[in-house]
Amino acid sequence: MKAVRIIALKKDRKRVLEHLQDSALVMVRHLEQSDEGFHRADTTAQLKQFERNAELTEQALRILNRHQPEKKGMLASFKGRKEIDPDEIGRIATDSAKIVGICQKLIRLEKQLADYAAEQIRIRTLLAQLEPWKKLDIPLNTRETATTAVLIGTLPRMYDDVSLAEALAEECPALTFEAEILYASSAMTCLVLFAPKKQREDAEKALRSLGFAQPVNPTSRTPSVKMQRQIKKGEDLELKIEQAKQDILSYTDYREAICETQDYFNLRAEKYRVIAELDQTDHVFVLHGYIPEEDCGKLEKLCERTADCVVEFEDADEDAPIKLKNNKFAEPAQSIVSMYSTPSHEDIDPTPLLAFFFYFFFGMMFSDAGYGLLLVIGTAILIKVFKPDKKMRNNLKLFQYCGVSTMLWGLAFGSIFGDAPAMIYKMITGNAITMKELLPWPTLDTQKDALFIMILSIALGLVHILVGMGCKFYVCWKRKEYAKALFDTGLWMLMLIGFAVLAAGMASLPVLIYVGGGIAVASAVGLILTQGRGKKNIFGKLLGGVASLYDITSYISDLLSYSRLLALGLTTGVMAQVFNMLSTLFGTSVFGIILMILVFVAGHAVTIALNALGSYVHTMRLQYVEMFSKFYEGGGKPFEPFSLKSKHFKTKGSNED
Amino acid sequence: MDAIMGMFLAILGAAVATVFAGIGSAKGVGGAAQTSMGVLSEDSSMFGKMLVLTLLPGTQGLYGFIVGFLILINCGVLGGAAPTLGQGFAFLGASLAIGLGGMISGFAQGKAAVSGITMTAKDEKNFSKAMVSITLVEIYALLAFIVSLLVVISVPGLKI
Repeated sequence: MKAVRIIALKKDRKRVLEHLQDSALVMVRHLEQSDEGFHRADTTAQLKQFERNAELTEQALRILNRHQPEKKGMLASFKGRKEIDPDEIGRIATDSAKIVGICQKLIRLEKQLADYAAEQIRIRTLLAQLEPWKKLDIPLNTRETATTAVLIGTLPRMYDDVSLAEALAEECPALTFEAEILYASSAMTCLVLFAPKKQREDAEKALRSLGFAQPVNPTSRTPSVKMQRQIKKGEDLELKIEQAKQDILSYTDYREAICETQDYFNLRAEKYRVIAELDQTDHVFVLHGYIPEEDCGKLEKLCERTADCVVEFEDADEDAPIKLKNNKFAEPAQSIVSMYSTPSHEDIDPTPLLAFFFYFFFGMMFSDAGYGLLLVIGTAILIKVFKPDKKMRNNLKLFQYCGVSTMLWGLAFGSIFGDAPAMIYKMITGNAITMKELLPWPTLDTQKDALFIMILSIALGLVHILVGMGCKFYVCWKRKEYAKALFDTGLWMLMLIGFAVLAAGMASLPVLIYVGGGIAVASAVGLILTQGRGKKNIFGKLLGGVASLYDITSYISDLLSYSRLLALGLTTGVMAQVFNMLSTLFGTSVFGIILMILVFVAGHAVTIALNALGSYVHTMRLQYVEMFSKFYEGGGKPFEPFSLKSKHFKTKGSNED
Repeated sequence: MDAIMGMFLAILGAAVATVFAGIGSAKGVGGAAQTSMGVLSEDSSMFGKMLVLTLLPGTQGLYGFIVGFLILINCGVLGGAAPTLGQGFAFLGASLAIGLGGMISGFAQGKAAVSGITMTAKDEKNFSKAMVSITLVEIYALLAFIVSLLVVISVPGLKI
């Protein structure tokens, strides 16, 4: 990584920045203060404007999706972004004002729809309130006629004509009245009561003691007229809503244009974010950045072509970002490293090692030649058909390489869609046969040779851990921390190797027991003597040394953790076999064969889904927890160049990442 | 009598493996499904991701079923010879591993799945992290399954 300074004339600023953005070569460096004599431009206003517009397009897209969900295939997420010509950005820019107008219109229509919906609810409530009064043929707010008092309202209980007369007689025996019950339910009775005008107060008093209440919104029209009006209003609203929806749908053709415009606003916003970082004078501007060493030449050429500018390189400082660069074999595994953490300047790039072990262990866990073949072919088709973006392509490549390893392990374990070949052989000839007998090469049976595979798993784990510790040794040595390299790492490596030789001796050559034991004891003594070296007095030193031996437990648990290699491999094989067995249960009639194929396909699909996920996660765990913990620190800053950070399109020939 | 008892114990073993592991998965998936439906009511576009996270605690039931099925094809119900009393006990003992291990890891994984779903609902980018964390619980069901499995496939050869 190099630090770079690009100095150019202010009149060329637009051109230079656009070319830099297009080429994605440089990461802009954030400096707290500008150099003396320079100032920074305040671009907040423009930035806000672009961000607001981008937000508008986002809202508009959401509205369109709500009314007409975009048709996407199951595999659409693999699809790469659309490629457009760089010159088309100009066209998108000219159209952007129009598109913003459309977006605003969409948002307005959506707001109208919300208002209409609220109005509809209001109407419905009103209708529900008026429903009990439907039979009333005078306005709700009638109070009296020339001689009669009219009382309209509700009582909070159920009454019929008789019980109402009784209740009122009890309250006020003298009252003469005529009552009509309009509606009665257990919770409420709606009634209208006529009484002589001079008895109004008595009637009101009697009714009030029964819990009388006047209707909430009395009007001067009869309830039925009012209801009809509201219903009419509701129908009009329906039409308006329908119209607004149609209007929104008429804009669905602009979806792509809106997407493009959104990208345009985002990349303009990005540019203004960079302009705010530039050091400027009245005529000149300076851009500070980082660039990977191999791209320096490209940048010089690009700047030469674009405008009169000076490009200066110098060695990068501590804060410089990290760009992982690996060959084709290891590159797909970069995403696994980045998911954990970007390496710091102190670290070595663990990607090549991780890539090898990742493919290797994944294959051992998934371990089926048929599944491996499916992975290889499936990912190849996806890459070919959908032409995915680089990130997705690398992920697919990762599984492709894992698929190759899965195939090889599957052949070693004698597993091709479980024991499908043996099953078919049995169906045709009627003779039972194991895969071991069927396959011409020697195979390991995960079930019968489980113990051996367990030992193999732990042995592979030992190699994995030793490689991790070897990296630590190398890193410490390079930093000239020799004590750390030799005592803290080297002695433990010796100890583990000693134990391994000891174990091998117990299994075969007795003489190796002494060799291994000797190495282990020697390294243990070494550890006791050296691990307390930070302490002051002799007792502290010894005590620290002895206590450090306790770390052996963590190494043992790390090693045992690799038994998951056996566990997942065994599970894949057994699940596949069980589904094979299930599929042959239905006999050899036509119907049976159809069922067999269905169960076979569905069963193996389930097995693949479950075990591919399991293998992926547990391989990752072995890398992160068992291996990375030995040497990898991480915490570096990833290299994120100033580029067209677009979601929907990419420009042809751009240096996308 | 011993033959009947042996058969009974073997079938009981198949039932224990399938049912208890199934209970674990049913509870795990059920809880996760409730949460994911809550999320989907807000944003139905996450259906695929939610489905994956919801199904993760579903493997225990499958492991239990496989052990149950292997017992059935080894004890004379779907093939194999009728077990002796000792073999019947061995089948039952084997099934306890995936039965209990599957049930309790199913509960635990279900809880992890619920948290993972809420995390993914907040930010879709968290999906892969959630998936990885939830799958970590899986290994304990897997270990129980393997113990059951190794016993079940070796029982027919045991002279007990």
